[in-house]
Formats: sequence, structure tokens, C-alpha cells
Amino acid sequence: MAELALRMAFSLAQIAVVMGVIMLTVMILTLAERKVLGWMQDRMGPMEVGPYGLLQPIADGLKLFFKEDIVPAGANKFLFSLAPILALVPALIGFAVVPFGPDSTIELFGIKFKPFIISDINIGILYVLAFTSIGAYGIILGGWASNSKYSLLGGLRSAAQIISYELNVGLAIVGVLLLAGSLSLVTITQAQAGWFWNWYIFAPPFPQIFAFVVYVISAVAETNRVPFDLPEAESELVAGFFTEYSGMRFAFFFIAEYGNMILVSCIAAALFLGGWNAPYPGTALARLGFAQFAWAENVVWFAAKVYFFLFLFFWLRATLPRLRYDQLMRFGWKVMLPIALGNILVTAIAAYLFPGGR
Amino acid sequence: MLTKFKTWLKTITFYEILVGMAATMKHLLRYKPITLQYPHEKRTLPDSYRGMLALLRYDDGTEKCVGCDLCEAACPSRVIRVVSSEVPGEPTKRFAKEYYMDMTRCLFCGMCVDACPVDALGMTREYEWAVYDKRHLHLNKQQLLAIGDRSYPVREKRLEFQHPNVAFFNVAFKNLPQKGS
Repeated sequence: MAELALRMAFSLAQIAVVMGVIMLTVMILTLAERKVLGWMQDRMGPMEVGPYGLLQPIADGLKLFFKEDIVPAGANKFLFSLAPILALVPALIGFAVVPFGPDSTIELFGIKFKPFIISDINIGILYVLAFTSIGAYGIILGGWASNSKYSLLGGLRSAAQIISYELNVGLAIVGVLLLAGSLSLVTITQAQAGWFWNWYIFAPPFPQIFAFVVYVISAVAETNRVPFDLPEAESELVAGFFTEYSGMRFAFFFIAEYGNMILVSCIAAALFLGGWNAPYPGTALARLGFAQFAWAENVVWFAAKVYFFLFLFFWLRATLPRLRYDQLMRFGWKVMLPIALGNILVTAIAAYLFPGGR
Repeated sequence: MLTKFKTWLKTITFYEILVGMAATMKHLLRYKPITLQYPHEKRTLPDSYRGMLALLRYDDGTEKCVGCDLCEAACPSRVIRVVSSEVPGEPTKRFAKEYYMDMTRCLFCGMCVDACPVDALGMTREYEWAVYDKRHLHLNKQQLLAIGDRSYPVREKRLEFQHPNVAFFNVAFKNLPQKGS
């Protein structure tokens, strides 16, 4: 009984820390996105709140918190309230299986804990895919329940888009799963230890570079980001599915979007770029004799990879215009899907011919 | 055939997208914002800037305006309304008893300033005239004179040979002292 209570307390502490880090990252991202976009377009971004505009996320959060919560006339009140929660929870719940750091254990009060992994379930990646798909319900229901044509159109577009690209994400991941022989994100990351050419993006027998490209493009499409931001195309649909939302409910959708961005970046880092592994074998700190602090280096490598992807999201947004809807669908079904399928075929043959890979 | 292959190669390697991303990255690395942080830093106005209109005075504090209505006639958007009247006891001399400008309509063309025969109107360099109530832009003579007082601290001399009862027109005399800068 005492052990169970201890384990629960430790898990809750882990969850609290992870949620705190995610929320902090979302705050940083909202500022970083505006800053990076501004710098890339010869502007300054927010400059008024705090030194160099650094307190802008706090100002935004306070503003959204104190705004009036409007439910439009004719809206389905229950679904209208449910939709933001349905969008936010799946975006945050996926982090339960993400390995943020090495698989090491620490011993506290005679019980072993893994400090950097909330739960290492053996179907980790499947769990993430399942929950991110539920996030689509939030968007569709939010669009439908608002009783507004823009919201409905945004929700419909989003439904079609997420379903189309969810498929490509799933198929792009299969190549990695074939090579790793596991669905657990921890096992997959451990299999990429050593030099950086063991990362699955470069790994022999068959580099997953095509799967990586398909995954990144589909991930951008799945998170409704530019150039695939048709569900919230502001020049066509006001704001898409959250047109009618205000105050904290709007903030929920907003956090969900950024949470999804972080989640797909974490998954991409763990599956293709070696997760917490450094590009060289072991860690530099362990070589220098600080083996007890080696985890810090691993966590920093993981964060660096995730932030690289997050920067890529901003970079793409600053560069590319929005696709037309038929282009989006054609690209998803006629280009991405065959590439992903072909990748599975070739990877399967390669994995069969060279069992054990390298 | 070769060009077709090249196009195909460019398509599958996302060549155009990479060029675009290199362009945005170049702007990020050579960060030179063109933003002017407006309330904190302001633009240098050109010399011929046409800002808020003002009524001017002579150095002895008397109004220059002789109430001739020419500005009202020149104004293309009917901003100005002048109520002219005689100076009491001096039938040859007139002045503007009331002088109104509806600045909501003004398009700052400067034609009234050109039309004024005694240089009683001037354009200042003020432009921050946002108000909460539109009626605050309907200015009377006192307000216009106040704007002139704060924008033209150096006033023109009333000429000595000018009879106080005669409106003096500056059009024929090019060698007269000009408005102080």
C-alpha cells in the first residue's frame, strides 16, 4: 500500500513537472513564433510588454483569462463547451509516453523510478496516434456546435485534412517500427544509440529519410500549420473552427495547437533523430567523469532536437503560402501516400534481407 | 528530356521551397528591421510638411486675420467658416468675429494658406490629433490661435508704414519681411 502511494505520488510529481514544462514551452512558443516571424519579415515582433517584449505571453494569457466567455445564439451549448476540452486533453495526454531523457532508474525509499519517462508502455507510439486522432473530434465538434458557417467549413476541412494526413503519419512511422521491432518509444530510442548514423533517418540497412520527409510534412498538415492551415485560413474563413470562441475556450484551442506541435516534434525527435541520444556514442559528460550528470546532456540533446522541429514550423510559416484545398488532398493521397507505402515495402525487404540491421 | 529530368529533380528535392527558406533565413540572420517604434521614436518630417492649420498673430499680439473670406472660398471641402465684421468705430477695418474650422473634413491641401492675402493662416507640423469625440475637431478661433501661438513662436512684425485701419495685402510686395521660420 505504501509502495503504491509512493508510486502514485512520484507519477503525479512527474506529470506536474511535464505539464509545467509543456505549458512553459507553449508560452515561449507563442512569443518565439511572433518574434521569429517578425525577424524573418524585417519586423521586430512584440516590443511593448516588458523588456524587448519578453512578457508578451503573460499579457496575452491574462487578457484571454479575463475576456468575456461568449456562447453564440443557436450553438449547442454542451458540445460547444466540450470541444475545447476534447481538443486540449489529447494534445497534452500524449506526452505520457514520450521519453524526455535516458532510461535510467533512481532509487527512492527502496523503490525504483524512471525519472524521465512517465510511463513506458509497450504500445507507446500507437497510443500517441490514437489520442491525436481524438483531437480531431474537438475541432470538428467545435466547428459544428458554433452554429456558424465559417466554423462549420473550417471543421469540415480540418476533418478531411487530419484524416488524410493521419494516415500518412501512421504509414511513415511503420518503417521505423519494422527496423526497431517495437512500438515502445523507449525501445525505439535505445535502438538508435551510438553514432548519429544509427539514427533511423540515416540508419542502415535502409535509411528512413523518405519516411522522415513524409512524417514532417504530414505532421505540419496534422497540426493545421502553414502551409496546410486551411481549417483556420484567416483570409477565407475568418478563423476557421474557433471563429466563435473567445476567452479561455479560445485559449484551450490555442494551447492545443501548440501542444500538438510540441508532441509531433517530440515524436519526430524520438523516432527519426535518436531521441535523447547524442550524435556520438555515450555522453561527453560521462567521458569527462561526471557520469551522474550524463542525463542532463541527454535531456539537452532531446530538447535541442525538439526545438529544431519547432523552429522548422516557424520557418515554414514565414516562407510558404497556403495550399489550395484540392492541392492539399492530391498531395496527401497521390504523393505522400505512395511514398510512404513504397518506403514500407523497401524497408520490409531490407529488414528481411539484413536482419538485425547494421 | 534533360530539362524535364531537371524539373522532376527540382520537384522531388523541394528545390524551390528550399530557396525560399534560404531567403527567409537570410533575413533572420541579417536582421535589419524597418520598423519605427512610433510613440517612442518619430519620423523626421519633410520641410514642406502640411500639418494642422493655425491662425497667426503679429508680434504685438493682434490677429493677422482681416476677415476677407478668401480662405473660405479657396477651401475645396468647406472646412472653413468665417463670420466677418467691422472693427467697432473703424468702418474701413474688418476682422473675423468668428472663425471655425471643421478639421474632420480638412484634407490638408494648403489652399487656404496660399489664398490668405495677409499670411494669417499657417500650417504647423502637428499631426497627432486623434480625439475621442469627433466634435473636438470642430475648432473655433481661440483654439486655432492657440495652435498658432505654440507652433509659431517667432511672430511677424506689423509693418510701420501700414495704417492700422487698412488691410495690408502682401501679394504685390515681394520684398517684405517673410514669416519667421
